Amino acid sequence: MTSIMIDEVARSFGNIPAVDNVSIAIRNGEFFTLLGPSGCGKTTLLRMVAGFCELDRGRILFGEQRVDTLPPHQRNTGMVFQNYAVFPHLTVGDNVAYGLRARKISKPEIDARVARTLKLIQLDGYQSRWPHQLSGGQLQRAAIARAVVIEPRVLLLDEPLSNLDAKLRVEMRGEIRRLQKTLGITVVYVTHDQEEALSMSDRIAVMRTGRIQQVADPRTLYERPATPFVAKFVGTTNLLSGTVTQCDGDIATIVIDGTGMLVRTSAVRLGDRVELSLRPEALRLLSAGEAAPPGWSVLAGKLEDSEYLGAATRINLRLASGPLLQLMAESVPAADAATVAYDPARAAVWRKEA
Amino acid sequence: MIALLRRQAFPLSVATAAIAVLSLFFLIPLWKVFDASILDASGKVLTFANYKTVLSNRFFLSGLTNSLIIAVSSSVTTIMIGVPLAFCIARLPMAGKSLLLALAALPLVLPSFVSAYALVLMFGRAGIVTRFLHDLGIPFDSIYGIKGIVATYALTLYPYVVLPTVAAFKSVDVSVEEAAQNLGASRLRTMRTVTLPIVLPSILAGGLLVFIETLENFGVPFVLAEDKPILAVEAFKLFVSETAANPASAGVLGMLLITCTIAALLIQRAVLARRYSATGARRSPPLLVVGPTLRALGTAYCWLIVSTALVPFIAVVAISFMRFNGPVLHYDLSLSNFTELLRQSYRPLTNTLLLSTLAAIGTTLIGVPIGYLLVRRRSRLTALLDIVATSPFAVAGTVLGIGLVLAYSNGFLILTGTWMIMVIAYVVRKLPFAVKSSSAILHQIDQNLEEASINLGFPPFATFLRITVPLIIGGIVGGAVLTFVTVASELSSTVVLYSGPWMTMTVVMFQALEGTSAGAATAAATILILFTAIPVALVYRLLRRHERSVLNS
Repeated sequence: MTSIMIDEVARSFGNIPAVDNVSIAIRNGEFFTLLGPSGCGKTTLLRMVAGFCELDRGRILFGEQRVDTLPPHQRNTGMVFQNYAVFPHLTVGDNVAYGLRARKISKPEIDARVARTLKLIQLDGYQSRWPHQLSGGQLQRAAIARAVVIEPRVLLLDEPLSNLDAKLRVEMRGEIRRLQKTLGITVVYVTHDQEEALSMSDRIAVMRTGRIQQVADPRTLYERPATPFVAKFVGTTNLLSGTVTQCDGDIATIVIDGTGMLVRTSAVRLGDRVELSLRPEALRLLSAGEAAPPGWSVLAGKLEDSEYLGAATRINLRLASGPLLQLMAESVPAADAATVAYDPARAAVWRKEA
Repeated sequence: MIALLRRQAFPLSVATAAIAVLSLFFLIPLWKVFDASILDASGKVLTFANYKTVLSNRFFLSGLTNSLIIAVSSSVTTIMIGVPLAFCIARLPMAGKSLLLALAALPLVLPSFVSAYALVLMFGRAGIVTRFLHDLGIPFDSIYGIKGIVATYALTLYPYVVLPTVAAFKSVDVSVEEAAQNLGASRLRTMRTVTLPIVLPSILAGGLLVFIETLENFGVPFVLAEDKPILAVEAFKLFVSETAANPASAGVLGMLLITCTIAALLIQRAVLARRYSATGARRSPPLLVVGPTLRALGTAYCWLIVSTALVPFIAVVAISFMRFNGPVLHYDLSLSNFTELLRQSYRPLTNTLLLSTLAAIGTTLIGVPIGYLLVRRRSRLTALLDIVATSPFAVAGTVLGIGLVLAYSNGFLILTGTWMIMVIAYVVRKLPFAVKSSSAILHQIDQNLEEASINLGFPPFATFLRITVPLIIGGIVGGAVLTFVTVASELSSTVVLYSGPWMTMTVVMFQALEGTSAGAATAAATILILFTAIPVALVYRLLRRHERSVLNS
């Protein structure tokens, strides 16, 4: 168990920077997720920690020890691969014992630790099974058991759930999180699934084209995204462009296609071109005569279409001047014309670069 | 920089060693052949006169056209025979398919000139069938000449087309065919407009192998061509008889052979350049639902081709146990052919076993690390290695043999006349197949398995031994056995390189053919068939089981 320091790390393939000057400090015992679309460099970064990808620049430290100069087999990391990589010519028991044998541990202790780990991961009784006799979920457990039994300093998981069906994925999510807490181990977890990241992580780093966009805990990431990209990638949001026409203390008026919106922010100045993110849950459809919650502003719009999702209904509302807003409601409003209230404090605003 | 060198030490040293070996025993000999072709008889003056002489000589010119006619018509014939056969095996419901496929692959490892010789025994001037037909008053011209050669190639080389085409038919993604039918194409139209274009690269690849193999083959035309000139044979004859210091004409014929092969490779590449290779199939197409008549026809066709190809070999074995009186066959059982063959010496027998074993070991030891580099450590150096290591396949055995003699008869390294030069020739010639097959096996093994092992604490070399080797060993052993088998029946470079004490079974048979010792030739042929068929049969199960266990995981 260790903290991890990733210090100004970079790597290009040809002319394309895969990881572009990334620095992250991961705490001891933390469940840390690298989140981003495919090709953003998250897997490359994970493989750098494991030692399977060379660094062009920078350092990686486990605690005080520099590890990027160590060959991968001396780093004592446990890695779970996307396709599990369970050795097909070894039984489940031999797969799990593999790393212990590399560490020249005595046979009785190997047996004890394998048995204990298989029990922990709910694979007891599968010791002498062959990999081709296992289901996808069981292979996944075997791969995790093999990685944690060596008591690695850090557990690395590379999109471990992407080959499982939706229901099993949610189940394994909780189980991996419980296991991590039980063992108190530092985890670096790579995924492109934002829901997975939000539900499991202590902190998340959102990556895009090799760069870190934001490092934060799930709530901060969701509620105070640092960039429009983070706002869009994590959860759903309404992303609008406009111009600041008035600044009154910490309330700015932003005109979007002719519709003025009030936003609580002090980060903009008069005349700025800005981008604005408004989450669907910061919007509320008002029924006829209903007053907006205190401090909220209102806009008039027209119902464009709606999607019934079971627990809620997703509504697309066209504002009079053109922009489209997505929001959640309990039911579809009776009339086409609708009033929507929004919370100016829950809008995120970024100045556009000139 | 030093860290980089340390990390790259393994690939760098393997690649450097391999390129050094190939330069010494492949590129330099090839250069010597080229050199011989552009120097005059004294070996000192640069000239193009040799090309002019050879190309204005009607005998050699017809040798060139004969070789090309044979190569083209053999490729076309094998494709016409092989593609329907492959389709039936891949798509029709039939019993005994795995046996059929195994038997269909068998001619590839059996020596083709034995098949040619069997045809002579049956359909030659004094052949069994010829005489039988004559007795019945049916006129039958003998099978010598181009038609006999093409027939032999068609029967022995059709697996080159069948095997890749079966795989291709099976790997067409079913949804592509379903999409065509969904859009209104009939079954036949789907076949013509979707399936065949997708399998075409595999068919052409097989056809190209046939083309190259027929160009370089020495034994079959030697048996069947009679007075018709064939490039590979004439190059050998010229080389043996040329008395001048410089074997200029043999060099020219060698260069012509290489030029033809390279032209064929370039044409194939140009044809395939604009095509997409088939994407990995998610679901291979189901067997066709056909009526009993079609099914019976398909089954009959498959077994007809497969068994016809094996008849010559069976005939030779049967005849070898009958008594010959000079060239005349008597129909009574006897071991006299074998006693005659082995009367002088067992040496050729042990030579074949020894040299083939050494060649198989050498080819494996050099080929597998190269294959590993090509798959796991791609770089500019390995790309060069890929080209150098696989190009011996385009060079006729006779030409390589001549080159080795030219390069190593004198000077710092004298190898001519030793067993080593033969093993070297075999290793160079079989290396492309060893490299291709080992890299194909490695491609199927997920690199993550190796990384997982390293991650769990075993350094790369220990990981190679614990993970990679167990997973590929079946394929490696199979490849080594195939090398053994094909070397045992190798003739084209052997005939140039052997010397007295290092005579092999193929040479014995070759000499028996030249003389009148038909009986000894059949006995030698039978022994060769045993040498090839038995090892293949032994490892066949192993190979299949290994494939299953790796594919199922």
